[in-house]
Formats: sequence, C-alpha cells, structure tokens
Amino acid sequence: MREKWNIILYLIWFSYLILSAILMFGHGFLLSRKTLTDVSECVGIESVGCDEISSDSAACNEPEKLERILNNPGSPLVCPSTSKRVVLILVDALRYDFTEYNPALENPLYYQNRLPVIHNTVKKWPEKARIFRFMADPPTTTFQRVKALVTGSLPTFVDASSNFAAMELYEDNIIDQVTKNGGHAVLLGDDTWDRLLPGRWLRSHALYSFHTWDLDTVDTEVDSKIYEELKKSDWNILLAHYLGVDHAGHRYGPNHPEMARKLNETNERLERIIEVLPSDAILYVIGDHGMTETGDHGGETRAERTAAIFAYYKNGFSGIGDEIAPGREIQQTDLAPTVCAALGSPPPSPSLGNVLLPLLPKMQTTTTLLHMTNNLKQITQYLVRYGEESQQVSLDRLAELINSTRDQIEKTANVKSHDDVRKYVADVRILIDNIRAVFREVWVEFDSLAMLRALLLLLLAIFFNWIIAEGIPMDRIPHVFASSFVPTGLISLAICVSLCYMGYYWELFEDLESAIILTTGLISGAVTGALVILHWDGISQKWYETRTLFYERFARSALFASAAVLVSNSYIIEEGAVLSYLALSVLGLVAWNISSFKALGLWAGFGFVLSLTRPYRGCREEQGDCWTAGDNLHTGQASRAALIIALGSVAAVVAVARRQVSWRGYGIVIAGIFTCAHWAVGWGSLGSPNRSRLLARVAWLSIVAMFGLLLKRDRNGPTTPLIVCGLLFYLANCLVLGASYAPTAALALLSGFLILIMISMMMKSDGTSKTSSSFRSSSSLACLWALVASYHFYGSGHHPTLSHISWTPVFHAGDPNYSTLGPVISFILLTINLFGMPMMFGATVPLLVLWGRNGASMGPRSQLAAVFSLCLKFSLCFAIRVLASALSATIHCRHLMIWGVFTPKLIFEYGACGAALFGSLLGAALTAWHLPSQHKSS
Amino acid sequence: MFSLNNHLELRRVTISSLVTCIYLPSIITAISYKGVLYSVGSGSSFYILVLIFVAELVKSFYLSSSNEIQAKRSKGKTRAGDIIKSLGFLLGITFCFFLGIMLFGAPVLDKHEETLMLSSLLTLLTVFPLVAHCGVEPAVQLLFGVKSFNKDTIVAMLVNNALLTLCGAWLGAVVIPLDWNTPWQQWPIPCYLGALGGYVLSNVLTVLKVTMMSGANKYKFLNFFINVINRLHISK
Repeated sequence: MREKWNIILYLIWFSYLILSAILMFGHGFLLSRKTLTDVSECVGIESVGCDEISSDSAACNEPEKLERILNNPGSPLVCPSTSKRVVLILVDALRYDFTEYNPALENPLYYQNRLPVIHNTVKKWPEKARIFRFMADPPTTTFQRVKALVTGSLPTFVDASSNFAAMELYEDNIIDQVTKNGGHAVLLGDDTWDRLLPGRWLRSHALYSFHTWDLDTVDTEVDSKIYEELKKSDWNILLAHYLGVDHAGHRYGPNHPEMARKLNETNERLERIIEVLPSDAILYVIGDHGMTETGDHGGETRAERTAAIFAYYKNGFSGIGDEIAPGREIQQTDLAPTVCAALGSPPPSPSLGNVLLPLLPKMQTTTTLLHMTNNLKQITQYLVRYGEESQQVSLDRLAELINSTRDQIEKTANVKSHDDVRKYVADVRILIDNIRAVFREVWVEFDSLAMLRALLLLLLAIFFNWIIAEGIPMDRIPHVFASSFVPTGLISLAICVSLCYMGYYWELFEDLESAIILTTGLISGAVTGALVILHWDGISQKWYETRTLFYERFARSALFASAAVLVSNSYIIEEGAVLSYLALSVLGLVAWNISSFKALGLWAGFGFVLSLTRPYRGCREEQGDCWTAGDNLHTGQASRAALIIALGSVAAVVAVARRQVSWRGYGIVIAGIFTCAHWAVGWGSLGSPNRSRLLARVAWLSIVAMFGLLLKRDRNGPTTPLIVCGLLFYLANCLVLGASYAPTAALALLSGFLILIMISMMMKSDGTSKTSSSFRSSSSLACLWALVASYHFYGSGHHPTLSHISWTPVFHAGDPNYSTLGPVISFILLTINLFGMPMMFGATVPLLVLWGRNGASMGPRSQLAAVFSLCLKFSLCFAIRVLASALSATIHCRHLMIWGVFTPKLIFEYGACGAALFGSLLGAALTAWHLPSQHKSS
Repeated sequence: MFSLNNHLELRRVTISSLVTCIYLPSIITAISYKGVLYSVGSGSSFYILVLIFVAELVKSFYLSSSNEIQAKRSKGKTRAGDIIKSLGFLLGITFCFFLGIMLFGAPVLDKHEETLMLSSLLTLLTVFPLVAHCGVEPAVQLLFGVKSFNKDTIVAMLVNNALLTLCGAWLGAVVIPLDWNTPWQQWPIPCYLGALGGYVLSNVLTVLKVTMMSGANKYKFLNFFINVINRLHISK
C-alpha cells in the first residue's frame, strides 16, 4: 500500500496551504508594535550644575543654567520650571465640523452650529483660545485612541509586550508622569481609562461604557461631579470623558435630533466650565476621533480621523501667525508632549509627537527652546531603544533619523532671535513628522495587496480540495494516491522554493516569505486543478448519480451558516449558543432520519450534554448582563463541589474506558490517577502546591509515554489506538483546564461518543454495505463533527477575546521558564488549553468511519480512502470558517468592533483551524500506521 | 402528494386551509392593533391559544365529517376516555416541546412561562390537529413513521403544516442574538411569531397548490409551480 504515506503527505500539504495563506493574511492585517517600559526622567533645574565639573548649583542663576543646558547637546532632560494644572475634557467622537459656527447658515443640519461657545470664545479672545483640527491615526476606536492620547504614540492592534493579554498600559504616559512626580490625577467618566491605568487616580468616578444605546447616564454622572472637582485644588490633571455624542452617533447617526440635543448639552457644559475654570488651569477640550455620516468609526476616512481640539487659558497662549489660525491641522500624537510640557514634566518616553507652542502659555525664548530640546532628546532616546528591541524599522533608516535629531539638538545653541526660534520650531516639526511617517508605515497601514493575495490563495486551495473531497469517487482514491500525483506536487513545490531562494539571492525581490507562499500556493492550485481535470469524468458521473438526502444538505448549510454568521458581531459574541443550536439541529435531523425511540433518546442525551456545558460557558464584556453580574470572574481555586465533580468525571471516564482498550487501559488509568491526585493534593489551604505540581508532571509524563506507545502496532486495526488517542487528549485537556473546568472535557467526550453511537445506528438502519464507505465519509458527518468541535471551545469556558486567555495552565505543573525548553512547553500547554477540543475531535475523525462492526468490515484500502476523504472534509470545514472570518475582518476593517471582536475571532479561528488540521493529521497517520498491510480486497 | 381523485377531500383541505389563512392573520392583526403583540410570551395572552384551540377543533370537525360512518362506529363509551387520553397525550407532548426548546438554548432557570407558552402553541399547531383528526394512536404511529401517510390527502396536509410550523419557529430564533435591542427580540416572541408564520405559509401554499392543480389541465405551465411547491414540502 504505497498510497498510505502519500495520503498523509497530501494532508500535510493541504494543511500547509491553508495555514500559510492565513499567515500571509495576518502579515498584511495584524500590525504589531513593540512596547517598551522605559520612563522619561528629567532632572530639576536646581540640581543642574553651572559647569560639568562642579555640581555646585548655587553659583549661577537660572537663566544662565538654561543657557548652559541649551549649549550642551549631551545634557539630560531638564524639567521645565513652570507648571500649570490641566483640565482635559474628552468629548468622545467630537468631529471638527461639529465645532464650526456659521451664522449665515439658514437651515443648519442637526449637528451644525450647535457649539457656538467655541466660535465665540475664539473670536472674542484670540489670545486665550485656540481651535484646531485634531487628526487621529487609524484605528479610530476609542480604546486605541485613548492609548495614543496618553502615550503620544501610534498604537496598533497587538502591542507586543511581555503581558499582552491584560488591558493595563505598561508604557510611559501623561498620567504616570504626573503621579511619578507626586502630582494627582482625577478621573470622571468612561471606565476605559480606569482599565487602562488602574490605581493611578486620586479620585476616580468611572462608569461602564459599553451600553452604546444609553446616551445620558455617563454624561449626567460626570456633570454631577465635575463642577465640585473644578473648585478643588488638590489635582494636577482633571480628566473628564463624555460619551453621549459618540453613543448618539452610534445609535442615530450625526444627523438626528438626538445629536443636536447632545451637542447643545455639550455647549452649555463648556460655557459653565469656562466660567468656573481656575486661573492657573489650562482647559483642553478634545475629540478622540470623528465619525462617518452613519455615525460609525474605526477606519481611516477623513471624517473619522478629523476630530477637534479646543484650548482655553485665561492668561493667554503663545504662538503667532499661521500657527494659531483656527482649523489648522495638528496630530493627536502631539497632545501628550504638549500636556506634559504644560504640567512641567518631560514628554512620555514612547511619544512621537512634538510640543505645540500655540497650546502652551506664553513663555520666554529659553523656555521654548528647553521644551524643544527635551522633545528631541526624548525622541532620540526612543529611537535608540526601539532599534535595540525590534527589527521592524531597518537600522540604516533609524541611524539616519537619530543623526538628524542629534544635529538638530546641536543647532539649539545658535538660536537667539525670534525669527531664529520660529525657523527652528518649524524645522523640528518637519523632522518629527518625518520620524512619525516612518513609524506609521510599519505600524498603521494595512497591506491590502497581501490580504487580497492571501484570500485568493485560500479560496483556491479550498475550492480544488473541496472538489477532490466531494467529487472523486471513493474507489478511485487509492489509485490517485498510488500514482505519481503527490510526488509530482511535492517536487514542484520544492522547485518553487528553490527558485524563490535563487531570486532572493540575486535580489530580484525582497520579501522571501510571501514569494514562497504565493508561488507554492499557485502551483498547488495548478497541480490539484490538473488532478480534477484528469478525473472529471468520474466526478461528473458521481455528482450525476448521487442523490443527497435532506439532512446531508442541511448539515452542509448549517456549516456554511456557522461560517457566514462570522460576518456579524452579535453572532460572534453569542457564537457558543449559535453553534450548539446548529449542532443540535443537524443531529436532530439525523435522528429524524433514523426515526426510532433510541435515536430520539440519543439526541435528547446529546442535547442534555450540551446544556450541561452551558454554565461553564464564559462571559464576555459585550454580553452586558452577565458581565456586569460578575460571571466573568475566574476564581483561582476550584470549589469543593467542582473538585468532586472533576474527580468523579475523570474517574468515570477512566473506569468505563479502560476495559475497552486492552493493555493500553493501564496507562490511561495511571495518567488519570495522577491527574486526580494533582487536583486533590493541590486543593484548599491545606494542599501542597509543590507535590501537586510534581504529580501533574508525572501525569504528563505518562500521557506522553502513552502517546509514544501508540506506535506499537495493534493487531485489531486502528480503532483501539484512535480511542486511546482521544482519551489521552481528554486527559491532557483535563490537566490544562484545571479542576473547575475539567468536567467540560468529559462532557465533550460524551457528546462525541453519543454521535458515534448514533452513526453506527444509522448504518444498521440503512443496511446496505455497498454504499457504506461513501456514506460513512459523507460530508454531513464531517460538518457535524466540526460544529461540535467548534462548540466545545466555548463549552470549555473560552471566548475569542485576548483578555480571556488564561495563563494558569502554563504554570500548573511548575514554571516552565526554568527549563531550556520553556517557551516550547508553555506554547504547547497554552495551545492545548485553548484549542484542545478541536484537536481531540480532529484526532478522532477516523472513528466516524471505523466505529462499530460495519466500519471494520470494509477492506483496508477502502477504509483508508474513507478516512482520508473524511479528514479532508473535516479540515475543509475549519478552513471555510477561517476563510469566512478573514473575509469578515477584511469587510469590517473600519468597523467599530474590528479590534474588539472580529480580529480576535480571526486569530482564535486560525488557532482552532491549526489545531484541527494537526489533530486530523494525527488521526489519519495513526490509521495509516495501524492498518493491516495485507490486501483483503481491492 | 395530493391526488385529484378524491374531490371531496380536496375541497375540505382547501376550505380549511383558506379558513386558517384568514383567521390566524386576523388574530395577529387584532392583537397588534390592540398593541399587545409583544406580550404573546406572557400568560396574559392565553386567550390567543384558546382561540386557536377552538378554531382548530372546529376545523378538525369539518375535516373529519366525511368519516361519519367511521365516527359513528367508534362513537359510544370510549368517547370520554378518548378525550382524556388525547388531553394527556397533548400535555405530554407540550412537556416534550418544553424540554426540547430548553435543549436548543432557551433559558433553563427562568422565563418558564414564556417557554411554556411557546411549547403549547407548537403543540396546538403541530400535534393537536393530527390527534383531533385521527386519534391518539395513529398520531403516534405517524409521528414515528410507523405508518405511511402518502395516500391520505388530509393527513399529508396536516403533517406538512406541522413541519413548516417547526421550521418557522426554528428560523425565528435567528434574530434573537442580534444586538438591535428591539422589543420583538425578547424571548420567545420571534419563535412564537415564526411558528405562526410557518403555519400560515404552509396553508397558503396548500391553497395555491390546489388552485394550480385544478388549473393545470388548462395551463400546462402551472405544473412548474406545482413542482416548486412540492419541493418545499419536507419529506424524507
């Protein structure tokens, strides 16, 4: 049976195609950035010496010191001596044209002419007030924007740091600069701030911000506090975040009476705040992003990016000429260094903005220059550090930028007159704009070409493989794989790869990886296409003859429905319920087809098992009710009842299963006992964590040993080893899920078992053994199995959000970071924790063919062909789901929830697909290994 | 599936379907005019179920009046026992629906009233006409496919109604997860209305089909539509 290993090679080839295409998509879509935890430090002016040798600071007065600092390019950052207080009012989604006022307008739209206070103030006191366009960088979602405003950087979706799952901000930012120097910050409004920067606030009055249909609660709460706060003098920065305008936009769009109402409220509010503003405080009113004409935001159209900034200070701002013209465009990155300069701190370390003089109080030339040099020095430091930590920006380019900033710092000494200062400020702005443009290129822009190519490759692979899986008659499959088809394909892949290497070596193109993925994907498409053409007669014959039953069509449509709903955010949020609904419906139709009491009972049992997993299903933030009820809280320690249930479930599974798998049962019993002991010994305050970890390690050891023993050939065919493989995956899942979630693994196993019984019943009721191999590899079974496998991701308490990734499974058997294989072990443990269910179901796919007497009665060749066909179909189900989520991410790349819902879903679906591909590959390989090699039938 | 041979049965089927097409939409229109359409899940809307019960009962009397000879034969002592048996059977079916809906994802710990209303509606629209038409035991046999119903036009119609009703309720659940926050997304209103919609649709299709079948002799192209409708009928 030469085709045996060709089949496995073909499955590997298919997995490579799918995974590489998605990888390519990710490179174009998922932008990442390295976060650095550096903090900007400055030295007080009083501690600066008058010359390098002596630190005697009393010898000269302050202007002389400043002079000296400016003349010395190597001097450290020096804190500005003047500090003001800052009131930062964030009106969510305040678009620039909301703030314009045109009395000549006869019929103003609902959002026009609603904020006359801004216009009037600027007109009345051009010295004291400023209104600018405040340009946001995409993604224009509130969370990313808030991050950008406080750090002055350009946040991407994945801000890679040591702990990327937590919400908390680890980079230097305005608030940290304030609190570090003994200042105090007060927060009112949106709790995004509190989640981003917990524990930094003197007083915080944060409110849940996810009820986008509630226009008023947050605003009235903030109003009830803000005027009292303005009277107090114990804060340095007062932050108030109003959500009403944004929510009105989401619910009704900008052109709606509700928007007019919210803007009128904002107008009154601003009038009152300007009235009661303390004289030493600067008021900044900013919008974090704009909105489209439908009220959405998240993308990069000009309407979404153009927010407004309004500043007011009783003693007047500096800046002259074009700099202060109303409506001038400034970048949102500039806010952080400017606010920090006003507060008397250095710019935050990751900031890429420049200090805006028109938004700062009047000051002397030397102070201006001090701010400028501080800004340049901080950016130079950041460039150096980023170059050390990441290779995203090429070193030549970074070196060039660093040199030009250093040159600029050296030029400071020659700046004396007012004209010089103006020219200098303009030069600095151009330089910083250049630097920001370089970083924006790597952090902010989607690579749409790569995304498109990846989608096409994915589509190509799915299309041809679908025809192969569905079309080629079962009796031809062994011949196809006994022929030179797979070797030809693999040789052509090898030629492609070597050609790409040669091209890369001769520098014909730069991006080796995408070239390889693209050419191999295309050539595989061509090879599989040729196969389809060669066998077209058989395919058309088969499609002409077979009449699909209703439940089979329904199963396929259910799978497509489960993929299609990934386009809608509400369905992604409720996907657990959707998947169980669909799986139950498909199985219901199967039972209806059998129509006997036993089938009905099995169906009800399956439904009951799925319902039992319902309490374990997690809760995500967008689900509202259960989130606020506190269901999301993971308690570290399992309760007594949970422990007993977990122990009982493992004991029951092991006790029932061990008899069915002959001598391999002993290994399972040993692993199960150690798993139980691990939980029991580590439980409660009397437990011993060290011994518990040791027991967990022994359990893992026995699981791995049993996996190794799967290589020992079984005389009775592959069924027993496959069952053992499933049970081992079950035990591994139990270990990583921990005692409180372990019963879900048993429930998953039970649900799979019920389906298997149902299928073997169906065989009996159908009877005819002639069609059995084609029936047992029918795509409806693969779809059902894939639906159940996807469901149990939710059923075991997971959710596709980054904050749901739990890190405890990595450490349940001790800290793996002490060993040399640490990263590999933690990766494996985390993968099993998240995607153990698709892996377990993938590994047991061949059982759908082989379970029961009927499956075993087929000849080994047709068994293998059926297993191959089913594994390919199962993998295709996951590939289709991944394609759907990639498509929905592309469609929604400017959707409000793209970073909160769609992108995490894509990442998790990718993980699940990879796990399912790996699992089914393992299952197919086990089948091929254990199949008796002699010919029984042909 | 329907045969033109038995004109009497065909007429009964058509008229009863027509009656359904009129009375159910009128009930829905009436309650939506009164502004209580969205309270169909609560127990206060029990009168709708009573109305449907009465209407279906009357229909079933009309449908089975042809079997008068049979009916007379079975009349007598067992009548009262039959009614009690049927009622018990219907209650059991309601409970099964109740559990099944919960398995499909309805809230388990609360909203029992709503789920119960939905399951009684489903019982009324699916199993009750069958039981009223041919009695408990044949209905059970039909449900589990022991007996074939291909010959009997009326039973075929009733089974079709039942299946489309279930499909409607199934499809109604599609809108529940959407985040539109509208009052009609509350459990169980979409499923309730979906079941009613499926039932009405099935009856409309029956009427259409019979009309077209009678016209098909004259206009051959109508056969195409008849085939389309035949395909809509779910069969194994």
